[in-house]
Amino acid sequence: MNTSAARKTAQKIKEPKNLSARITWLRDYYFQGASRAWNNEFTAWTTGTSWDVQFDEMTFYIVPETYPFLQPFRISMQQNAKPVKLHPDFWSWSLPERKAWFVKEVMVKCVPQEILPGDLIAGGRFNLQTSMCWNEKEAKERDGFIYGKKGVRAQMKWFHDHGYGNSGATSGHLIPGYERALKIGWKGVCKDLEERYNALSPKDKKGKRGAQLRAMITASTMPGELAGKYANLCEKLAAAEKNATRRDELTQMAKNLRVPWEPAQTFWEAVQALWLTHMLVMSDENYPGPGVSFGRIDQYLLPYWQYSLKNGMDREFGKEILKCFWIHANTVYDAMIGIGNQGITSGYGQLITLAGVGPGGRDMTNDLTYAMLEVIDDMSPLLEPKPNVRLHRGTPEELLDKVVDMISMSQGAPFLLNFDERSMAGMMCEARKAGVTHLINENNVHDYSPVGCLENTMQGNDRSGTVDNNLDLLKAVELALNNGKDFHVFVDPITGKSEKIKQDGPKTGDAVAFATWEQFWNSYAEQTRFIIKRCAELYEQSESIRVRFCPTPYLSCLVKGCAEKGLDITEGGAELSFTTLEAIAFATTVDSLLAVKHLVFDKKECTMAELIQALKANWKGYEKLQAKARFKAPKYGRDDDEADAMAKAVMDLWCEETWKRRTVSTNRQFRPGMLSWNYWVGDGFILPASPDGRPKGRFLSNAICPSNGADINGPTANANSVGKALGGRDTAGKGDLQGYYNCLPNGASHTITINPSLLNSPEHRDKFKAFLQGYTENGGSALQINMLDADMLRDAQKRPEDYRSLLVRITGYNAYFTSIGRELQDEVIARISHGAL
Amino acid sequence: MSANEKNISGTVLRIQRMSTEDGPGIRSTIFFKGCPLSCVWCHNPESISPQVQVHWAKTMCLGCRSCIEACSKGALAMAQPGIVIDRLVCNSCAACVQACPSTAMDIYGENCKPDDLAHEVMKDKVYFQKSGGGVTLSGGEPTMQPLFAKELLSAFQQSGLHTALDTCGQCSWETLEALLPHTDMVMYDLKEIDPDKHKKFTGISNTRILENLIRLGRSMKERGLPGELWIRTPLIPDFTATPQNIKGIGAFIKEHLGEIIGRWELCTFNNLCTHKYESLGIDWAFKKTGLISHEEAGSLASLARDSGVDAGIVHLSGPMRNADSTESMVDRPHKSVINDDVSECRSEGGYA
Repeated sequence: MNTSAARKTAQKIKEPKNLSARITWLRDYYFQGASRAWNNEFTAWTTGTSWDVQFDEMTFYIVPETYPFLQPFRISMQQNAKPVKLHPDFWSWSLPERKAWFVKEVMVKCVPQEILPGDLIAGGRFNLQTSMCWNEKEAKERDGFIYGKKGVRAQMKWFHDHGYGNSGATSGHLIPGYERALKIGWKGVCKDLEERYNALSPKDKKGKRGAQLRAMITASTMPGELAGKYANLCEKLAAAEKNATRRDELTQMAKNLRVPWEPAQTFWEAVQALWLTHMLVMSDENYPGPGVSFGRIDQYLLPYWQYSLKNGMDREFGKEILKCFWIHANTVYDAMIGIGNQGITSGYGQLITLAGVGPGGRDMTNDLTYAMLEVIDDMSPLLEPKPNVRLHRGTPEELLDKVVDMISMSQGAPFLLNFDERSMAGMMCEARKAGVTHLINENNVHDYSPVGCLENTMQGNDRSGTVDNNLDLLKAVELALNNGKDFHVFVDPITGKSEKIKQDGPKTGDAVAFATWEQFWNSYAEQTRFIIKRCAELYEQSESIRVRFCPTPYLSCLVKGCAEKGLDITEGGAELSFTTLEAIAFATTVDSLLAVKHLVFDKKECTMAELIQALKANWKGYEKLQAKARFKAPKYGRDDDEADAMAKAVMDLWCEETWKRRTVSTNRQFRPGMLSWNYWVGDGFILPASPDGRPKGRFLSNAICPSNGADINGPTANANSVGKALGGRDTAGKGDLQGYYNCLPNGASHTITINPSLLNSPEHRDKFKAFLQGYTENGGSALQINMLDADMLRDAQKRPEDYRSLLVRITGYNAYFTSIGRELQDEVIARISHGAL
Repeated sequence: MSANEKNISGTVLRIQRMSTEDGPGIRSTIFFKGCPLSCVWCHNPESISPQVQVHWAKTMCLGCRSCIEACSKGALAMAQPGIVIDRLVCNSCAACVQACPSTAMDIYGENCKPDDLAHEVMKDKVYFQKSGGGVTLSGGEPTMQPLFAKELLSAFQQSGLHTALDTCGQCSWETLEALLPHTDMVMYDLKEIDPDKHKKFTGISNTRILENLIRLGRSMKERGLPGELWIRTPLIPDFTATPQNIKGIGAFIKEHLGEIIGRWELCTFNNLCTHKYESLGIDWAFKKTGLISHEEAGSLASLARDSGVDAGIVHLSGPMRNADSTESMVDRPHKSVINDDVSECRSEGGYA
C-alpha cells in the first residue's frame, strides 16, 4: 500500500515489520500481483478427448457470484487445456486410478518447477484444472445429471433464486492427516496402502476396493517424485549460485527434499514436507485453498522445532522458514490472477490453529506458538494462512497479553479466537447425537480444530462438508406468512422471464386466520422442516454425482478411514463424515418471529393481514408499522431473556431437524452450524421484506450475530445472548462438557467490532483481556474482533489504490477491504460506527 | 428487608453495561436522575432534572405526528426543525413516547425497582469477576435518592459485587455516611477549588463539598470506610483546566487527604453530548468547544504531579487533540461502540 497516503491521514494501519531482505523481497513481489513474471495461475490439462472436462462446477455451487460464469469457465478451461500424453493402459483403468495417474503426471512431468529468489521452501505451482479423466460414457452420463430442468445446476439455481440459500458438494474444508505424513513419510503412507492392498482377497483386488487402493498407492508416490524434481532444481541452482550463503541454502534444500517421502527430522524438513503435502491436496482437488487447514500446527511441528533448536538452529532462522511458508500459502490467490484483483473470491482459508487445551485440561501454549504469533505479527497484513488462536479457562496471561497486544496493533484482529470449552461441548454434542463417542470423547476432544473460517472438526479423520449447505432460515418465515408460497413472482434478472408463484412449501394455513401465536409458530416450524428437507434433497443431487465422478485419491491417502474402508473421501471414506448445514439469517429470523408475536398477537399493533400487506409492499406506505417492528419489537442480542428464549427455540427447532437428515448416496449425517460466509449480504437482495422491519435489499443478520444495530446493550450483553442461543451453561455441572452446552458442533461465527479507544492504555487492555475471559465463560465458540475506524474505511472506498493491503475480517474470513463488494464495505462501515453514520 | 424498603424505587436514566470508565475493571454503571449542581459544561444534561423528561430526536423522527395526536395536554407542536415540546405544559405522562413508532419521542428517566436493576446488573457478574470490576452508582447524583441508593448498594454488596459510588459530594454528611458501609469505593468529583468560581460554574459554592471530602478522608483513615477513594477533576478548557485550579486541588489533597487517595483522575472534556442538549432544547455554550490538546492536558497533569501529591496517583484520561494536527484519530467526535449510551446506539442508521 501507499504508506505516505496512510501517514497523511495519520491513521494507524498495521505495517509489516522485522522482515529480512529475503522476506521483504518475497512479500513485495507477492503484492505486485498480476504484474509478476512468475505466478501460480491455473493451468489446464486434458486427456485430449473431445468430451473432456476440467472445471467441476459443483464446487462453485456455494459461490452464487460465479453462477453466470459456470459455462464460460468450463469452456475457457477446455480451450486452454494442454494435452497430456496418456499411459497406454489409461482408459482400461478405473476412474480413481485414471485421476491419480493424471494428477501425478501433470504435477511431476508437465508443470514446471521453480524456486523464487531467496525462497527456503520448494513447491511453486500447484493451481491446476486437470482433466476429470472421464471416458465418453461417464462424461455424457455426468452431464446428464448437471444439465436440463431436473439437472442439479437448474435445481441449485432455483434454490438460490427463491431465497432458500445454496448447496453443493465442495472441496477441502478439512484437516488432512499431515501429522502422520510428516512422522512416517509418504514412504510409510505408501507402505501401509500396499499392505492393505496385498491383504485383499483376489476378488476385492479386482473390484472397487482394489481399484481405490491402487489409485491411492499411485497418488502416494506423487509427493516423493515431485520432491525429487525440486531437489534436482535446487542442486542446479546451487551450482550456478555465486553467493556462498545462498548456495549453502540451496544445497541444504536439495538435501531436505528427501522429505516428504522420508519422515522429517529437522524443522526445515518438516515445514518443507508439510508444504508439499499440503499444496498437492489443492492440486488433487483442483481448487485453491478451499479451507484445507493445517490444524494444531504448533503442536505437531513442535518436536521438529525443539529438535532443530537443540541442534543449533537459530530461532530467527526458524521464523524465516515459517515466513517463506506464509508466502507460499498466499499464492493460492494466483489461481485466477488473470481476471484481476478480485478474482472469484478473496476468502480461502487455510487455517492454522494455535494454543488451546490439551490432555487433562493442560494448556498447550509453547515456544512455537509464540514464534508463529511473532511471524503473524511481522508479516501481517497478509491473508494466509489464517490463524485461529484457541483460548480457554487456563490460557496463560502471557498469551492473553500477546493476543490483546496484537489486536490493539491491528485494524482487525489478525486471528480468530476459538473458545475451547464451548467448542468442545459442541463436538461432544456431535458425538452424542451421531453415536460416534468412540471417535470423539473426553479423552481426545481437545484435539478438535477449526477449518475454513471457524468450522470445528477433528483432525486427520474428519470431513464434515462445512460449507456445503447454506440455508436461509428466514425463508420459513415467508412461507409461514404466505401458506407455503413465495411472496413475489420471481423474475430472472438476465432473461427477464417470470415464473408463476407455486405451492412450493406445505400448506400450513392462512396466517390471517391464525388466532394465536402458537398457530403461527407451528406453521413456521413446519416450513422450517420443509426448507431443511429441500436443502438435503438438493445436496443429495451433487453428492451423488461427486461420489461417482469426482474421486480425490491423493487427499484420500491423508484421511483416516479411506484406506481402511477402501473408499475415496468423496465416497464418505473418512471416519467422521458429516455434511454441515450452515444457517443464514438467524437473528433476522428470530427478530422477525419476535416482531410477528409483538405486533400481531401481544400488542395488537396491526392485524396479520396488514403485516403481510406491508411486507408485500416492501414497507412502502407502512413506515409507521415498519418503525414499530424495528424499534418497538424485542430483539435478540440484548441479553433480554424473553427474546433470547425465542432465539433458543428457533435454534433447537432447526438443529433437531438437521440431525435427522442423511445423504442417501454416502450416508453422511447432517450437522448444524452457523458460518453464513457472505450470503447474508447477497441473499438480502433476494429475500423479501421481513417482519423485523428489514426491507428487501437490506442485508440479513450475520451468522450468530445479533441483527445489525440491535445489540444496544453492548458487547457483554451481545456475548451473553450468543452463549444462551447456543445452549448456555448448566451451573449444576451437567451439559456436554464442564457444564457447557453448544448445539452447534460446527461452531458459530460471532463478530464484535470495537473502537480502538478500548485498547488505548494498559489499563484498558487489561479490561479487554478480562472481557475475553468472561467471553470464555458466557459467550460463543468463535469470536472475531474488528477494530476499525469508519473514516479510514470511507477513505479506502474513495482511494482503494492506497489501501490495497487493508485487511478486514468478516464472519471469520479475511478479505482485503478494497476487494469486497460495495455493499459489504458499507456494512462493515455501518457496523464499525454504531451511531457515527 | 422491611415492607417499607421493598417499596423503594428510584428514578434512573439507564444502566450502561461494560463501562470501562467508571472505576476499576468492567462495570455496570447505573445513572441516577437528578443533580444538585448544574455545571455549565455538564456531559449528562439529561441527568440534572430529577423529573422524567420527554425528549425528541430529529434523526429518528418519521414526521408521522403520532405524538401530537397522543398528547392530551396539547404540549407538542410541529415546527422547524420538528417537534417542539412546551415544557411548561408537558407533564411527562409519556403518552407520546408510547405512541411514537420510532423512539424519536423518548423519555429520560424511568422509575425502577432495586430488584429489577439487580437482575440486570448480575447478568455481567462473570465479567466483573474476571476484571476486578463491579457496579457503579453515578448520575446525576446518587445521594439525591439516598434510600434507593443505599438499598441498591447493600443488595449488590450482598451479592458479592464490588460497589462504587460516583458523587459530587453536594449532600448532607449524614446522607453520605449512611452509604459508606455498603460502598467499596467512592469516586469524588472535585471540579473547582475556588468557591466563587465553583458557584459561577455549577450554581453552588463548594463549601459543603470540601467539608464532606475532609470528613470522608477522616472516615477512611479511622474506619476504613470507604475502602478506596478516587478524586475526579474534569478538565474544561477555560474553566477548570487552569494551572491555579489544578495546583489548588493538589494542595487540598495534600493537606487533607494525605496518603489515602488511590487516584486523582483528570478527565478531559469532549463535546459528544451536543445532541443531548439539542434533544432537550437547550443551547449549549460548549457545543463548538474542541478537545484539549495533548500538550495542555499533559502540562496540567505535570502540575498535578508536582502539586505535592504522590505523583503516581495522577491519571489523565479522555480524548485529546494533537496540537499540530487537525486530523488525528482522537480529535474527531469519536463515538465509542463500547461506551455508547442507549440512545446513541439506537440512532444508528440501520435500514436507511
